[in-house]
Amino acid sequence: MSKRTATYASGDSGVSEGVIDPVSLGKPSRASAAQPGEPLLVVEDLRVQFTRGGRKINAVNGLSYELTPGSMMAIIGESGSGKSVSSRALMGLLPPTAKITGSVRFEGRELIGMPERDMRALRGGDIAMVFQDPARSLNPTMKIGAQITEAVKLHSDLDKKGAHARAVELLKLVRLPAAERRFHEYPHQLSGGMRQRVMIAIALAGEPRLLIADEATTALDVTTQAQIMELLVELQQRLGMAVIMISHDLGLAASYAQDVVVMYAGRAVEHAPTGTLFANVRMPYTHALLGAIPALDREPHSLFEVTPGQPPDLSALPKGCPFRPRCPNATDKCLDDPPLTEHEPEHWWACWHPVGSGLGNDPGPRAGTGPLDPAVAADDPGLADGPDEAAGPGRHHTPNGEQR
Amino acid sequence: MTATATTPRVPADSRGPRASRVGRVTGSPVLRLVVKRLLMAIPIMLGVTVLTFWVLSLIPGNAAQQLLGPEATPEDIALLEQQLGLDKPGVVRYLEWLQGAVTGDLGQSIVSRQPVSEILSQRLPVTGEIVLLAFVVSLVLAIPVALLAAHKPDGVMDRISMVVSTLGLSVANYVLALLLVLVFAVTLGWLPAIGFVPLEDGLWPNLRSMILPSAAIGLPLFCFYTRFLRGDLVDQMQQEEYVTTARAKGVGSWSVLIKHAFRNSSFGLITIVGLNLGALIGGTVIIEQIFALPGIGQMLLQAINTRDFVVVQAAVVIFALVAVLANLIVDLLYAVLDPRIRYGSS
Repeated sequence: MSKRTATYASGDSGVSEGVIDPVSLGKPSRASAAQPGEPLLVVEDLRVQFTRGGRKINAVNGLSYELTPGSMMAIIGESGSGKSVSSRALMGLLPPTAKITGSVRFEGRELIGMPERDMRALRGGDIAMVFQDPARSLNPTMKIGAQITEAVKLHSDLDKKGAHARAVELLKLVRLPAAERRFHEYPHQLSGGMRQRVMIAIALAGEPRLLIADEATTALDVTTQAQIMELLVELQQRLGMAVIMISHDLGLAASYAQDVVVMYAGRAVEHAPTGTLFANVRMPYTHALLGAIPALDREPHSLFEVTPGQPPDLSALPKGCPFRPRCPNATDKCLDDPPLTEHEPEHWWACWHPVGSGLGNDPGPRAGTGPLDPAVAADDPGLADGPDEAAGPGRHHTPNGEQR
Repeated sequence: MTATATTPRVPADSRGPRASRVGRVTGSPVLRLVVKRLLMAIPIMLGVTVLTFWVLSLIPGNAAQQLLGPEATPEDIALLEQQLGLDKPGVVRYLEWLQGAVTGDLGQSIVSRQPVSEILSQRLPVTGEIVLLAFVVSLVLAIPVALLAAHKPDGVMDRISMVVSTLGLSVANYVLALLLVLVFAVTLGWLPAIGFVPLEDGLWPNLRSMILPSAAIGLPLFCFYTRFLRGDLVDQMQQEEYVTTARAKGVGSWSVLIKHAFRNSSFGLITIVGLNLGALIGGTVIIEQIFALPGIGQMLLQAINTRDFVVVQAAVVIFALVAVLANLIVDLLYAVLDPRIRYGSS
């Protein structure tokens, strides 16, 4: 703990050592409850269901992943893939009408079903969150200083003066220019990038071990986006916290994250270290996502390849693999739900016929003729089980959450 | 400056480039707004008085006929009309009245010959007290009830407040007045059914005479404010991202509601309270009649019946003035509460 808090004061001028005594922060011992080498966060078969107008919407369908302490992981997916909902579910920020099942363990503590009182201490304390639109996520009627001090006071025993000093220190930490002056300003007086820095300062107030950045740079212009991402990476390394960045931007994930989880229809479909994933994409959906990124070296005036079809209706998911109706590799085998399995070391995917398995239109599933091509549907049983066997004794998340 | 400046109303660092909020309110942009609004009130006043005068002239009969009664001969009436100056053309009479009014002389009642300023000084406090009590009581009750209801939408408190406020909104205030008299004056005998006790005769007797009329006006207001504020709070809580931020900080649900959502909802509430105030002064006419209270509303009604145009004009001017001032106060309150609004800066 001393090491972590010491870094807060270092490198920031104008803050006297006496005011920011790390010990006076009054936080309970930060000794981790988890064993060394244990993941910080284990999400297992997380499911979130909303009921709207009598229809049941399955926003998250058996999401499973693990997060290493101090690492930066990206959760990638298109709108409605459940990336935002799942992270709000683990923070207990969803409306009470949401039905949440499954398991989320943070340092060994189960978060799903945790009493609101305990959850509140955790929120903004050990787990903090930064949201997409900094224009809307700050209270327009409160000075930014008051909004940070509120968070500081909730997670420390500091008095008014100490909380003020700490808030200014946090503003300096996120490199907000003229922190002392900005302290007394309202959100509308700040630019978008500055507001997002304030949001990050608020998130850091409780010295979190996990920061969830929910599309934190989406509403910003490209230059500011890069600055905020650099800041997040720097803070992650300096403070030793883990970061989950939720994004629809594969490029952003590739540049900054150490691990990537690709989500589709409320579940993880591929999960690997960034280098592994981009060198060796296996899940046809990830492959299709990559293919949809425009590249400068594309042949001019050539037809842009897009994934056919629409994301599935979350209130009526298709049987089996949710990507099946759009997948060029799909066969009858895909009517069985493919489990998220560690087929190669650290590389998990949920697919019976991954890219490169030599099936049908491979390689290059994007060149496929469309969903459920009759030629593709003629399944080769020998091939279908191939990847699973190759994985040998690898770990295995079935959609029901059991491991083997 | 360090610690105190975290509270919103305390002046900010004087070295800062921005004027403090207190400075904004007393500074010249706000003064400009006040002057602008008061100047705008002039055409409004002219408009309403001309309109009132014209409408009154369309009603058959005049003050002379009313004073002398149905038995009077046309000669008597003509004589009195001449004495009262009613034989002059309407435009002349209006201009004569206006000439006095702009110099602060609202004239004297045609019927009682009493100076209008004297009548107003007796009547205004009565109406003012009813309206003030009604507003204070309705707001003091509506805010906590709305907060309780919004804390758990569709919960028990929300349902109860929904039923009560829907009921209260569907009952006309004169029906409510009669019901209140029936229960609290006639059956229980706790409070006087009619009449007004001035404040000079003691605070409690005065309040006793004001409870029922204020309740008759205030209860529908309470219901309206409760529904409005509850709805706005629930919207803020469910749709606004800053609420999620506050919750993600670990702020408790009550604090989120009161410190964050209510502050933002208060703008809407202030708007409708201000709009209500203008309309409500006129709305006291019926209630003052039922409870036999010597207020402005009763004065207006009597003056219309006796075609006492001077007194009617005075009442109309007062109503218009209250409406203009209420709107001005609302706009000034925005500047105090909402940091995004700064008058005169753009």
